[in-house]
Amino acid sequence: MAEQPIDDWFMREVLPLEPMLTRFLQRNWRNEAEISDLRQEAYARVYEAALRERPQMVKPFLFQITRNLMIDRLRRQSVVSLESVADFDCMNVSDDRPSSEAYVSARQELRLLQAALDDLPPRCRQVVVMRKVEGHSQKDVAKAMGITVETVENQVAKGMRLLAQALDGRRAQVTGQARRYNFFKRSRHVR
Amino acid sequence: MSAEQDEATAAEWLARQDRGLTVEEQGALDTWLSQSSLNRVAYLRLKAVWQRADRLAALKSPLPSQPPARLRNRTVIAAIAACLLLLAGAGWFTLQHGLAAGQDYATGIGERQAVRLADGTQIELNTNTKLHAEVTKAGRIVTLESGEAYFDVVHDAQRPFTVNAGSKRITDLGTKFSVFRNGDDVRVVVKEGRVQVEQVGQPVASPLVAEQGREVISKGSETLLSSKPDHEINNDLSWRQGMLIFNQETLAEVAEQFNRYNHRHIEVAGNARGIRIGGSFKADNVDVFVTLLHRGFGLSVDQQGDRILVSR
Repeated sequence: MAEQPIDDWFMREVLPLEPMLTRFLQRNWRNEAEISDLRQEAYARVYEAALRERPQMVKPFLFQITRNLMIDRLRRQSVVSLESVADFDCMNVSDDRPSSEAYVSARQELRLLQAALDDLPPRCRQVVVMRKVEGHSQKDVAKAMGITVETVENQVAKGMRLLAQALDGRRAQVTGQARRYNFFKRSRHVR
Repeated sequence: MSAEQDEATAAEWLARQDRGLTVEEQGALDTWLSQSSLNRVAYLRLKAVWQRADRLAALKSPLPSQPPARLRNRTVIAAIAACLLLLAGAGWFTLQHGLAAGQDYATGIGERQAVRLADGTQIELNTNTKLHAEVTKAGRIVTLESGEAYFDVVHDAQRPFTVNAGSKRITDLGTKFSVFRNGDDVRVVVKEGRVQVEQVGQPVASPLVAEQGREVISKGSETLLSSKPDHEINNDLSWRQGMLIFNQETLAEVAEQFNRYNHRHIEVAGNARGIRIGGSFKADNVDVFVTLLHRGFGLSVDQQGDRILVSR
């Protein structure tokens, strides 16, 4: 596949920045429910740009794209979170030093994964443990647990989504009271 | 398609891949991936996580399990606590410095200062403000020469507290309030309690008394008393936190506010002056504000030394 090198690059260089990116979005985007959408769209833009030319400095590039995306969305809304716009300009992401949070040590990585694994629902956890820790095939897992292969497959799908969610760096949601809600309003009749 | 739906589809594909794909399935997956970059990145993201999970194999040998996030949270809390202590220390230092009676206080553009008078009354000076405070046994008199200040007055019936601002005299009747003066224009906002506002040298039979939640605006000899909801009062006083909060003010008015706090002045031309602005900004961060005008409203911004020209 022609995309293979870009796919590898994306997984190696872009995706490790996810916890940082997610927290950036969380700080700057009021609507928690839209964060996954924004993140995915930012990824897609980075990916498409990389198909044409791979960016030299990945982190600033990703954050710049995310900022532009947020601004595009803000412009389309009549109500705009202002802290956002202020904050993303204050945030200094112009240096491309590998950030300590993006590159965790093997030991930390294992702890993160283990914590994520421990949070899975029991059956899902068991499937993932048998598949990933013990290295059994889906078929063997099904046999050992006395469930169908389809069920194993479903649990694998569920497991990877839950792991991804646990590892995306999102902080526990603060209560509405604690967050500042200030809006940048664009008057409808002014154009 | 939302990220969530794409992610669900991607997870199904990866789970199938995890057990082994048939040739037809591989073809279908390739088609799905090439349909949209959104599909592809959703797929790659889960694929990366699933690959990362291979490291869990290390758990086969016993490993000390530790709760991961706790420590980091505690560090953050400690850092916040340290910052608060520093702030408290800085505040205390400022307060200690203003103890003498009969003294001048001034802030430059963009500065703020908190002072405490000998009677315990606290005054916060906003940007570009000059005032003189005199505390004697007979009374307490503050003369606001220019700018804006917030007063949290320790009430003392024996020693009235008055603020002279141009042709206006504001007498405290047990309260927290702010006074803004620009020449002879005076604006008083009452946060708590009551104040009396009168024209200097013109004792009136019934002086104007403004209560909590009221604003007195006087231009020359005209005086207007109006009521304001709490949140608007708080917005008016947001400068005490270094913020400017606007609610549908025109860009011309907003620029004027920013210009009080910054050496570089925003000048808005033409019909851009009428654009309505809401939101909260750091008073000293004029760059962010004009960047926003440019990006958010498509206004053109032209920086010329200390002038920032904004137009459509």
